[in-house]
Amino acid sequence: MPRQFKEGDTFTHVRECDAYRPIYYAAASGDFNPIHIDKAVGEMAGLGGAILHGMCTMAWAVEAAILYLGDPGKVKRVRVRFSRPVSIGDVITFEGRVTGIEGSRLVAEISAKNQRGEEVLKGATVEGSIA
Amino acid sequence: MPIDRKFIGRQYGPYTYQIGLEKIREFAYAVAGGIPNAGFGEPPEGLNPLLYDEKAARSAPYGSVIAFPTFAVTFAIAPFAAAVADPELGINLLMLVHGEQEFELFEVLRPGDVLTTTGRITHIHEKAQKDFLVVVSESKNQRGALAVRGTWTAVVRR
Repeated sequence: MPRQFKEGDTFTHVRECDAYRPIYYAAASGDFNPIHIDKAVGEMAGLGGAILHGMCTMAWAVEAAILYLGDPGKVKRVRVRFSRPVSIGDVITFEGRVTGIEGSRLVAEISAKNQRGEEVLKGATVEGSIA
Repeated sequence: MPIDRKFIGRQYGPYTYQIGLEKIREFAYAVAGGIPNAGFGEPPEGLNPLLYDEKAARSAPYGSVIAFPTFAVTFAIAPFAAAVADPELGINLLMLVHGEQEFELFEVLRPGDVLTTTGRITHIHEKAQKDFLVVVSESKNQRGALAVRGTWTAVVRR
């Protein structure tokens, strides 16, 4: 039985920004901007300390969609707006909802909120192939 | 000073990058809550085997390990990084934040792929005392096929 995908399907994913996540993500991505790895620089920039890369938060939103789609190679398009920094200790909850299916292309909107209910991403959408 | 709109159309690149298997693994481990080095133990729980396990991936549709969809940041960022640091644009990097990001993925990325990325500034505008700079990058693989298009938006506070 092939997997069935339908409009209105929902999925959830939770990730915590642990103390070393910005450093690990810096190493993996190559983005060593000091605001991500140096508490003092993050404070100087008015961010209250080192913040996680927006691109890591974006990757977690994509991870949520992969868990739903079942295959990382099926992700075809992803778009996000970074609306609020993610700090060490923040717990981000991703809630996805399939808003459209046209042919073999599925569109899901994903919200990403921290433990205070504040949106860290806006307008996040992932498109996947369900061919 | 707002960023001069005369820089719309300025191009950066080409930049060449060869994708390595271990780099693919490290990226997947870091995103999934692990340490980005396979030498430090098992992959993080729940990680899709297509992102790290050669044996499992060989029998799957792609025939090899593939990169996490946003792995493209590692190489496709080059024109954006060059643009925001371009001395002629005069951007204060301390006031810069990454505002928006989009990737369109036309080909899966595999170990050994060689990506050539070029980019150009497509928009410069100001809104609410902030400058917006948009760079669109295109990365082609060794067969000349467009693999990834990235749309990178920087927001610069005044």
